[in-house]
Amino acid sequence: MAETDEQVALAVQGGATNRFGELVERYEAKLMRYARKFLLDPEDAQDIVQDIFIKAYENLQSFDATRRFSPWIYRIAHNEFVNALKKRESRRTVFTIDFDTLFPHLQAADTADSAALERDTRETLEKHLDKLDPKYREPLILYYLESMDYREIADILHIPVSTVGVRLARARAMLQKQAKGQTMYE
Amino acid sequence: MSDDIRDKVMLMIEKRGVMMRPRWHFILLSALAAAGALILIVALLYVISLAFFFLREGGMLYTPAFGGRGWFELLRSAPLLLIVLVAIFALILEILVRRYSFAYRAPLTMSLGGILLLVFVGGFVLAQTSFHRSMEFAAHRGHLPPPVGFLYGQTFRPPRPDDMHRGVIITQSTGGFVMVDADGDGTSTVELTPQTRLPYGEDFAPGDMVIVIGDPVGTDTIRAFGVRTMENRPDTQ
Repeated sequence: MAETDEQVALAVQGGATNRFGELVERYEAKLMRYARKFLLDPEDAQDIVQDIFIKAYENLQSFDATRRFSPWIYRIAHNEFVNALKKRESRRTVFTIDFDTLFPHLQAADTADSAALERDTRETLEKHLDKLDPKYREPLILYYLESMDYREIADILHIPVSTVGVRLARARAMLQKQAKGQTMYE
Repeated sequence: MSDDIRDKVMLMIEKRGVMMRPRWHFILLSALAAAGALILIVALLYVISLAFFFLREGGMLYTPAFGGRGWFELLRSAPLLLIVLVAIFALILEILVRRYSFAYRAPLTMSLGGILLLVFVGGFVLAQTSFHRSMEFAAHRGHLPPPVGFLYGQTFRPPRPDDMHRGVIITQSTGGFVMVDADGDGTSTVELTPQTRLPYGEDFAPGDMVIVIGDPVGTDTIRAFGVRTMENRPDTQ
């Protein structure tokens, strides 16, 4: 049976440096997809993903092997992507004070979409993702493309779980608006 | 392309000296953050309890018993400098703990509110002890190092409103009493009227320290809006 990510990470922490390549192999495709969808510019995606792995290696001793490896490396990726967006749009602030994280929300917890709704959302997502603000684009990518649950997304973005729900709901509404707008012109 | 990333990363690790930071580096960082958070919690407790101590000592903490005007007196004598210090410490504390899941999983207002509620309750409890009175005593005798001693000077002490008086009753009559001002401003005659608010009744007697809200009538007379006793202090009796 294949070793889990956490077991491989533990081995690397213990000195098996060459096994870090296994973690790179397991995550490079996922992180490249995350980078392309979030940054919307495939040009520097490869360099950024490479930097993510280097950062992950440098900080691997801070990883607690009793927890899941995936949210940990995605958190590093999120930070790198946000920095890249800030650099790229140096005159615009990518993330300002986020009022969604200030107050508690009565948003329902992680609810599974119906198969039809999920299929529709995925289709709309592919077409209109680039029109959304990064703040709303990112939870959509993590939820629909990376199959993360609310709690994992909250751990990656360092926001309350209820805020994840609020952002996803708003992002879906924005996607629907975009899709309707397009249908009207077709 | 996939192999490209893997090869480049492994090349940088194996040949170009990219190093894994040792575990103690992260343990040290966590320990420093925890120590910083602990120091800030103690500082918050200290500052909040000092604010309660000043308000109680100055008599302002007793005024809400007089109703709306009493609450207004308390609000306008709020120790602003100490409140600013509390806000700064609480913000730094929030930033320090924000990277931990217990902090970021809760909305900012709830985690910050939770921190403030805890230190407020703790500060209030600490203010009920003799800690600050002993510290003030030591500060006045120059037994405390300057930064701590400075806290007990006039800079951080909230100003008492002009219509608020504090003193020890020396004689009592049917229409009021005469008191010696606790701040050494001589004696004042306090006039009680049927409208005077006495939240705990006329339960004062010569020797009691009282707080009086009222406007001056003539030179040494105060027409009382409200009167109540204060906790007697050994050094003012």
